[in-house]
Amino acid sequence: MSKLIYNRRRFLGTAAATGAALASPAYLRRAMAQGSGEVNIWTYNDFVPESFKEQFESETGIKVNVRLVDDQGKQFNLLAAEQPNPTVDIMTVAGHRFLQFIDSELLAPLDTDRLSNWGNINPTFSESDWATINGNKWGAPILSGMEVLSYNTDYVTEEEALTWDTLFSEKYSGQTAYIIQDMMSIVMLMMGYDGNMVAYMDDPEKAAQIVEEAKQFLIEHKPLVRKYYDGGAEFQQMMVNQDIVLGHSWNGPAAALINDGFPLGMTIPREGSYGFVYTYNIANNAPNVDNAYTFLDAILASPEIGASMTKASGFISTYKGADQYLTELEKKSTSFPEEQLANLQFFRAEANDMKYSLLDPAVEAIKAA
Amino acid sequence: MNNRPELFRGNRIFLACIYWAFVLYVFVPLILMVLMGFKDSKFIGFPIRSWTLDWYTGVFADAEVISTFGYSVAIAVLSTLISIFVGTWIAVLLEGRKFTGRGVTFGLTVLPALVPGIISAIAFRIYARYLGIEPGMGAIIWAHAVHNVPFVVLVVMARLSTLPKSQIEAARDLGADPLVAFMRITLPYLVPAILGASIFCLLLSFDDFVRSFFLGGYDPTLPVLIFAKLRSGMSPEINAIATVALVLTAAIGIWAERFTRRMNKEN
Amino acid sequence: MTYDASAEREGRPGARPAADPTFWGRLTGWGPYHVLMRIATASPRRQFAILAAFPILWVLTQHLGPMLQMLRVSLTDAYPVAPGVEQSFTLENYARFFGDSIFWMPFFRTLTFAAVFTFCTLVITYPVAYFLARHVSRRNQMLFLLLLLIPFWVGEIVRTYAIMILLGNTGAVNMVLRFFGLIDRPIPFMYTSFSMGVGIVYLTALYMLLPLYSALEKLPKSMNEAAADLGAGAWTRFRRISLPMTIEGISSGCTLVFLISTGFYATPILLGGPSTTVFAETIAGFFHVAGDEWPTGAAFATIMFAAALVITAAFQRLMNALRKGDRT
Repeated sequence: MSKLIYNRRRFLGTAAATGAALASPAYLRRAMAQGSGEVNIWTYNDFVPESFKEQFESETGIKVNVRLVDDQGKQFNLLAAEQPNPTVDIMTVAGHRFLQFIDSELLAPLDTDRLSNWGNINPTFSESDWATINGNKWGAPILSGMEVLSYNTDYVTEEEALTWDTLFSEKYSGQTAYIIQDMMSIVMLMMGYDGNMVAYMDDPEKAAQIVEEAKQFLIEHKPLVRKYYDGGAEFQQMMVNQDIVLGHSWNGPAAALINDGFPLGMTIPREGSYGFVYTYNIANNAPNVDNAYTFLDAILASPEIGASMTKASGFISTYKGADQYLTELEKKSTSFPEEQLANLQFFRAEANDMKYSLLDPAVEAIKAA
Repeated sequence: MNNRPELFRGNRIFLACIYWAFVLYVFVPLILMVLMGFKDSKFIGFPIRSWTLDWYTGVFADAEVISTFGYSVAIAVLSTLISIFVGTWIAVLLEGRKFTGRGVTFGLTVLPALVPGIISAIAFRIYARYLGIEPGMGAIIWAHAVHNVPFVVLVVMARLSTLPKSQIEAARDLGADPLVAFMRITLPYLVPAILGASIFCLLLSFDDFVRSFFLGGYDPTLPVLIFAKLRSGMSPEINAIATVALVLTAAIGIWAERFTRRMNKEN
Repeated sequence: MTYDASAEREGRPGARPAADPTFWGRLTGWGPYHVLMRIATASPRRQFAILAAFPILWVLTQHLGPMLQMLRVSLTDAYPVAPGVEQSFTLENYARFFGDSIFWMPFFRTLTFAAVFTFCTLVITYPVAYFLARHVSRRNQMLFLLLLLIPFWVGEIVRTYAIMILLGNTGAVNMVLRFFGLIDRPIPFMYTSFSMGVGIVYLTALYMLLPLYSALEKLPKSMNEAAADLGAGAWTRFRRISLPMTIEGISSGCTLVFLISTGFYATPILLGGPSTTVFAETIAGFFHVAGDEWPTGAAFATIMFAAALVITAAFQRLMNALRKGDRT
């Protein structure tokens, strides 16, 4: 079932789609949105630090209700069904998913003037090209993640890990793993194409041909891979059990291993990779807008809060100066050399419809091959 | 025939070895699970370099885990009660009675047990939407109850087939109507079967992930919570939760068994 | 628990049942109940109708209903239906399966795996059930059986991860083998059809064990002994007596396990490798993506279930034929 839970990027929501369609507003309101002294948040495990939550509640008297979610699609489907009377105030969207939420009028533009602590966010994240859509800001960046090449330092050298090619080399045959959907984007990048497929929006034939090429590449190298996995926990277990020594992963799960003392390293290989940013967003027609702004301003108040989110999740904090609150090990697990960061680009949403209509069948074909 | 006991002894030892090997196969993963709950690390797996009790003590300090456990137990108990009620009724109808459509009714009765998990979850999901059942506790109970009915029917029918007819007739002769005869004779006779079926139902409900996931609302059941926790890694915490849940359910089970046994004796 | 007729007599002798102090006695004596019962039991036909109404209603609405609803969805072009969109009926979803060979591979793989794992489960649990039913004293049988049930209280996911740390490269099995110097490089058990089998047999053993146990338990001991007296060896006794006599248990156990294993989802995904994708994963894929893929998922689920039923029916026939063949 892990796929249901973890697959961040696909348009998910099996249960959620129906759950959303079925749950009557009355039912949800009873549970979530009564009274004014509340703020309702949908987010991932560990994204609201417990200590911050307690402090916020005692200082403001606003009760924080957190509903843990597993993926973007689930939030999208739930929210879409609840509109125009959502029960949620703040939700957690990945930046490259903004477009879908905004087009469906699910998010309210963020009034950054109401956030006195907006300036505490590193401008790399708050002022990036994906962060402004239709002239508005839509969310407060809190954590950032990326696709990395992780390797067991006892068996693989850093030099080898600087290129995605090593993942497909005979030398590590049967000792590698990757998330197949994510790998498709990266393979396109390896081949010198635009993995976001924005460049081919006007040329569907070219797009189809590129996906086909990437698909053939992965089928060709299928005998070398140990496992196509879905969730971070699986990746961590394979590393701990030494079933694999090298694999593609998100930096969060890899960082958690490093912080636990596992001999793991990670790189952004020279062919490049993709990053994503989690943001806190205010829902359109949110029932407790004022409380939501109070919450956002409070959570952005101190880099220490950003650091504690990083400690819990392994993703990189978007706060200025958050790293001064991290241990040496935590710093190491959440930072990359400048020259590697230069290879990073962010996922973009513009071509998602076309991209995933091509990618999904390709993934099925690779699995079936 | 002197050689006979020896002949059987050879078989017996061989079979005993297989049995205990099977017990080993079934228990080694469990032992590993319990053991990993003591590992002082955020990940399970060998080697274990240092040990801690924190994960286990943490389980009792975590209000969410405790309430989720209660929620799962409530779902299991309520769905089991429904399954037992419906299943026993169906069994009484089907056992030892000939009527047109009996075969079809039996086939339909066992259908939910034969439908593969994911398909059944999806079918329930679609049907719940059709009926207008909201996702949440009620929907989960409903799906678990329906799914478990066939197991109750099969177990109860087996027991019912051995009920001496003369007893019912005697009661009817004494003027008891069918309902009273059922409540005072058939039902007490079925108690062992119903207890057995209950254990099975409780177990199926408590362990169910797919149906709970598809039909759940805001609160997670224990397996669903474990999935949410899994997102930040398979930590010894999850092993500790599972172990504590195992011990608690076993304790509740033993207590319930003792309790019913004592009740029966007193009656 | 047996019916104790003396309870009835404990009331005042010769009194009407109404004087019976127990709850049921009082209920019987209560006027409205009495009238109700008289109406309900006026004729055997009416009595049967009252008994049968609820179960038949239940199985039709609760057991058949979900399956029919799924069938209906599989024949539509959109579900859930967005407001303002016209829903129409189509066979396209079924055509999609037959039109694209990438779906056939996981489909046939699932059926093959289910058959192989069912057979493995049978071979592994038969001796266990045999031992339980034939060689363990009646008093201990329940205990021994319960011992085997305990692991099923642990969630599928936790158990599956436990199997990972059992079979991983640094797992318990490799550790033991290494300790005894049997290997110097770990054996890669994980993410193969082997590790998947270990996980699946674990899940299905219970469903096989119980029918086998109850079939074996009914088998009269004397038959084996008589055969032994006649000089039949263990294998002959098994083949000529136990096996034919328990074919019903085998057949129902196998049916249950086969059908259940075609629906496994989490375990094959977590324990399987790149070449063990099962059909349940393909089906689930359609329910992950946008709503308009639901009908395709439902159609694929229907195809899977129909195929599994056909195979099971054929298997049951074969078993019936075997049983009849043995009798003549």
